[in-house]
Amino acid sequence: MPPSTLADGARTSRAASPNPLLRRILVTLALLGAVVGLEFAFDTLVPDVALQQLVLFALVNVVVALSLNVINGMAGQFSIGHAGFVGIGAYTAAIVAGHIHKALGVDDILFSNSFIVMPAAILAAGGVAAIFGFVVGLPSLRLRGDYLAIVTLGFAEIFRLVIATAQTGGDVEGPIAQFLAYLGGQNGYAGPDRNGVPQYAGPFWIFGATVVAVIIAWRLKFSGWGRALRALREDEIATASVGVDPTRYKVTSFVIAATGAGIAGAMLASMRNGNPTVQPDQFTFAYSFDAITMVILGGSGSVSGAIVGGVFVTFTVKMIEQLQRFESVQALQAAYPALDLNALRMVVYASVLIGLMILRPEGIFGEREILRRKPRQRVSHAPPEPLPARTDVEANPENETGPLTGKAEK
Amino acid sequence: MKTAHPTRKAPTAETGKPLLVVENLAVSYGGIKALKGVSLEVRRGEIVAMIGANGAGKTTTLKTIVRLLPIAAGKVVYDGKDLAAVPAEEIVGVGISLVPEGRAIFPNLTVRENLEIGAWNHRNRSTMDETLEDVVRLFPRLGERMKQEGGTLSGGEQQMLAIGRALMARPSMLLLDEPSLGIAPRLVADIFEAIARVAQAGTTILLVEQNTRLALKYSMRAYVLRTGEIAMTGDSKALAANEEVRAAYLGG
Repeated sequence: MPPSTLADGARTSRAASPNPLLRRILVTLALLGAVVGLEFAFDTLVPDVALQQLVLFALVNVVVALSLNVINGMAGQFSIGHAGFVGIGAYTAAIVAGHIHKALGVDDILFSNSFIVMPAAILAAGGVAAIFGFVVGLPSLRLRGDYLAIVTLGFAEIFRLVIATAQTGGDVEGPIAQFLAYLGGQNGYAGPDRNGVPQYAGPFWIFGATVVAVIIAWRLKFSGWGRALRALREDEIATASVGVDPTRYKVTSFVIAATGAGIAGAMLASMRNGNPTVQPDQFTFAYSFDAITMVILGGSGSVSGAIVGGVFVTFTVKMIEQLQRFESVQALQAAYPALDLNALRMVVYASVLIGLMILRPEGIFGEREILRRKPRQRVSHAPPEPLPARTDVEANPENETGPLTGKAEK
Repeated sequence: MKTAHPTRKAPTAETGKPLLVVENLAVSYGGIKALKGVSLEVRRGEIVAMIGANGAGKTTTLKTIVRLLPIAAGKVVYDGKDLAAVPAEEIVGVGISLVPEGRAIFPNLTVRENLEIGAWNHRNRSTMDETLEDVVRLFPRLGERMKQEGGTLSGGEQQMLAIGRALMARPSMLLLDEPSLGIAPRLVADIFEAIARVAQAGTTILLVEQNTRLALKYSMRAYVLRTGEIAMTGDSKALAANEEVRAAYLGG
């Protein structure tokens, strides 16, 4: 009998679909066309500047959620200091972009120049964040659950406080202190000449980064690597027993997540119409917490969930803020001056979260996806009856007639 | 036609050479000595059973062989290679696969994913698909449940999955820890038949089993462990006839 009729059948049916390479190239071109188109059509599509800003911020948050999902969702670790990685990326990108912009000598933010500035900023931000991801990932080998969470939180807070509390005025001595002073302390970093970080990241870069992040996250999840992580999450000893090195996979998940967060930070720092200053207050625990909310709300481990969670959380927070503009709400506040609308916002937000967690404790998506590739059908239809003694005869010719149990009874 | 596992050799040519040698192995949990100098030998192509009461050190021996527990004293040599310096995750690359006690499958991964992760060391598609077909041939029930999550299988099916996952690594030696534990009696027979088939296809087997009757029926030789030491050893048939063994483990 031919070695595997089943496999051959499946392969032929797959070959009937259009050339996968061609399809891949077409999809890539279509996506590229879409993001380039967005760069120029964004102003027309979304005329309101505030809304533009919100959309771009939502996309940055999607990248943050996707990257945190690698640690908290796929690897089953628990990091509550993701804002630290975003912040490191933001500061790195701001410094790199600011200096390149200055060296270019063109004051205007040109789309063409963004192809020089942004790749450098992204690489630097991702790289530096990756190094920190490695360092923070190392304790994950020995620490679990709450203890690891404390390490990540500690890291993020140390990063933020070191910058926020640095002495900026007067004489500062020593290279480290001078560098910290250069970062601007609590007031933040606003480029080498303190006139703002150049805002090169328009819709092209931010949409582009989001698309790339989604593709990478998706591929990671359904690769052997993603499967190894999910297995590790379920049973570490069994996973090591099949040959997966837990150390390597845990640390790598931290490095990948930190890189993603660093790139999101680069986008945040350079975001068009965004805040031209990178400030330590952007990266408090509240932001880490928002990132966790995005992941858990969407569904831990789900790429679709991270996307929906990122958009949902960004817009919910903003929408509740918008409530304050309604006349009825303002009238309410006039009637009860003690009512703190800002505090009320958090109450509403928290209620939404509690409600969702009661209704869907596993998040909107659980671990599922919107579009799930059909699993390969190759072997699922097993031969209805086992082929008798195929292996036995082949491997053990002189034992041909012996029944399986015969061996033990001999 | 092809053999089940092309990397495996027919056992006949080399049967008799020791594949796994355990010498004076000692292991402690904290201050308690779990193994006090266990020595055993498994030759190529054999099915060897380890029997004994609860806490005799059977599982400890297996776990130590695959380096999940540290060796306090003694040696584990596999195919001429000292395993002392080999970390747990590389053991499977050496050629030993463990089917752990209680199965330890991944409950939220599908049957297919469980099996595919077993092939971690042979990740190339065609090799993996080939091995997968062999495993499905061995356990047709798994083939019917490829897309189901591991946790939804019955105990017996989970045991099949655990064995299948271990076989996906194309091991030259399979360590089985209590394959009959908590499984419907009808399926126990299926599983032991499958183990016998795996052995006939050329995989050496070291089996830990509380069901002494079953263990002695399917194995060629056996070691009797008692409180961390080898109390007796010999041909399974002879042991099954031995008065002492009958009284202690076979209920007279």
